[in-house]
Amino acid sequence: MHSQDPLLDIQNLSTFFHTEENIVRSVRNVDLTIYPGETVALVGESGCGKSVTALSAMRLVPMPPGNFENGRILFKGKDLLQASELEMQKIRGNEIGMIFQEPMTSLNPIFTIGDQIIEAICLHQDKSHDEARILALKVLKKVAMPSPETRIDQYPHELSGGMKQRVMIAMSIACKPSLLIADEPTTALDVTIQAQILDLLDELRKETQMSILLITHNLGIVAQYADRVAVMYSGKIVELASVENIFASPSHPYTKGLLNSLPKDTISVKLETIPGAVPHPAFLPEGCAFHPRCAEKMGECEREIPELQSLDSNPKHQTACWLYNKTPAL
Amino acid sequence: MKKILQVQSLKKYFPIYGGLLSRVIGEVKAVDDVSFDINEGEILGLVGESGCGKTTVGRMTLRLLEPTSGKVLFEGTDLLSLKGKELAMIRPKMQIIFQDPYSSLNPRFTVERIIGEALSVHGLAQGSELRKKIEALMEKVGLSKMYLKRFPHEFSGGQRQRIGIARALALNPKYIVCDEPVSALDVSIQAQIINLLQSLQKEDNLSLMFISHDLNVVKHLSQRTAVMYLGKIVELAPTELLNRKAAHPYTQALLASKPSLDPTNRKRPKPLQGDVPSPLNPPSGCHFHPRCPNVVDRCKTETPRQIELEEGHTVYCHLYDD
Repeated sequence: MHSQDPLLDIQNLSTFFHTEENIVRSVRNVDLTIYPGETVALVGESGCGKSVTALSAMRLVPMPPGNFENGRILFKGKDLLQASELEMQKIRGNEIGMIFQEPMTSLNPIFTIGDQIIEAICLHQDKSHDEARILALKVLKKVAMPSPETRIDQYPHELSGGMKQRVMIAMSIACKPSLLIADEPTTALDVTIQAQILDLLDELRKETQMSILLITHNLGIVAQYADRVAVMYSGKIVELASVENIFASPSHPYTKGLLNSLPKDTISVKLETIPGAVPHPAFLPEGCAFHPRCAEKMGECEREIPELQSLDSNPKHQTACWLYNKTPAL
Repeated sequence: MKKILQVQSLKKYFPIYGGLLSRVIGEVKAVDDVSFDINEGEILGLVGESGCGKTTVGRMTLRLLEPTSGKVLFEGTDLLSLKGKELAMIRPKMQIIFQDPYSSLNPRFTVERIIGEALSVHGLAQGSELRKKIEALMEKVGLSKMYLKRFPHEFSGGQRQRIGIARALALNPKYIVCDEPVSALDVSIQAQIINLLQSLQKEDNLSLMFISHDLNVVKHLSQRTAVMYLGKIVELAPTELLNRKAAHPYTQALLASKPSLDPTNRKRPKPLQGDVPSPLNPPSGCHFHPRCPNVVDRCKTETPRQIELEEGHTVYCHLYDD
């Protein structure tokens, strides 16, 4: 299926935060690859480590308290964890673009949106201010900003939430990145605007062949826009498969629970729930972090952490669960 | 069916102050001529995008906000004419559950005090009897009574929302406004709280106004659904009918923009274009006309009237008016 080399290859990444009281294990031994042109969705509940994984790839984790305990993040074959700060500055916003959840707080309120897009362009490309302005206008048109000629000289407070997110997208695609990380890009937006923004991202991806790492907790968005899905729980990827397989035959009890807990089309039937709550990442249970909430837990689950392994029936469908893991990892 | 709440041409205009002398220079029509009823034991869903006035409607039905004009009848009593003691007498029958369980609980109060405060304010219980009542309420919402002396920061979002629900139930209300009670919660916790609300509603035959922007949740819970756009109700119908035969172009667009959970079906309809206009300066005629795919000339000048398509299904749209 993937003849090309991966664009981004996260190998055995662990990102911990060393606070005064304890160690917060936000990302634990995560492996994730993204191939050119595909959309990979990273799904999970708040605090499961999806954003920290993305910030690690951008090297935007504050250090200290953050620390990369182990692993490599290969981008086009180069290990980003070994790169110097100067090298990272050349990659950030240039080869890897990022869109944040809140367009309201990610733009600088005292500069016009034109200035902010031009700044991003001039930082990475050898262009004069006037040339950069022409390019800024071009990308604003590309993201379907209404009346871009007037909007370019406006301040963020003059724009609606949807328009601000368009500005963020314009800024992040201005330098034609090969990877776009979209961290909950539509969570702060209304449903009718959400569809506009996601369709826009999908069109841009098809047009420029960039890859998208889409971080979301909305399974509807995943079903509609992702090619492959990684489900995270308490800092670990617990299931990784094509979007069709995740929805048609989820294997990990957590993925099953998530899908079952969504309101269905039938009215007034009791929803299925996952009992309990997500454990605090500083106080993870022994073994599989999901075992206290799992209906199918066995003896091993409380002792050993299951590895992400391919299912016998489908090598492209991986899950980290003792139910499927016949041979012990040791 | 007995009606617990009747709302008639409710309006709320917020003044805008400006200029040198801070004079009123305009108004935001947050809620503009809204009418509906809630039956006893019914869950009415109120759906719409941010800024459409759904929260303002909810708060006015509890008289937490004074309407500019209109009528709110609670069990036949005109809520807006009540004063002082009479109002205080009726208040225990109506409660609210808030969206954000992180900011709606006093961080300096223990769970015991948060849940028990209303009971002691209204002089309904004290001492060991109060403690017993609080414990019973905690049990009802699925919280261990071990947590009696704990503070809100020691709880997760879902548990905090349970505390908020216990507080709302303390005075045995008949009507509760649930203002986006699950929006701030994770999916797996959302289902727990939805189930809890549903079972409590059945147990006590409560009437709920369920405010949400999540169409799936409203569809799951409510018997009837009202859709709001820029301060006005555009469609009101039994939930099942609304989902099957949505009449208003805005309702249709809302339903269509809900992403399908089937990855093999990616035929997405073209999303609604444009943004929600500012309520400061709403479009003339039908507020939805600049974004409406079926707009006709009349929409730009004339405000659509209420049209009953069939029993219980009303819509405000010129397409159905001939």
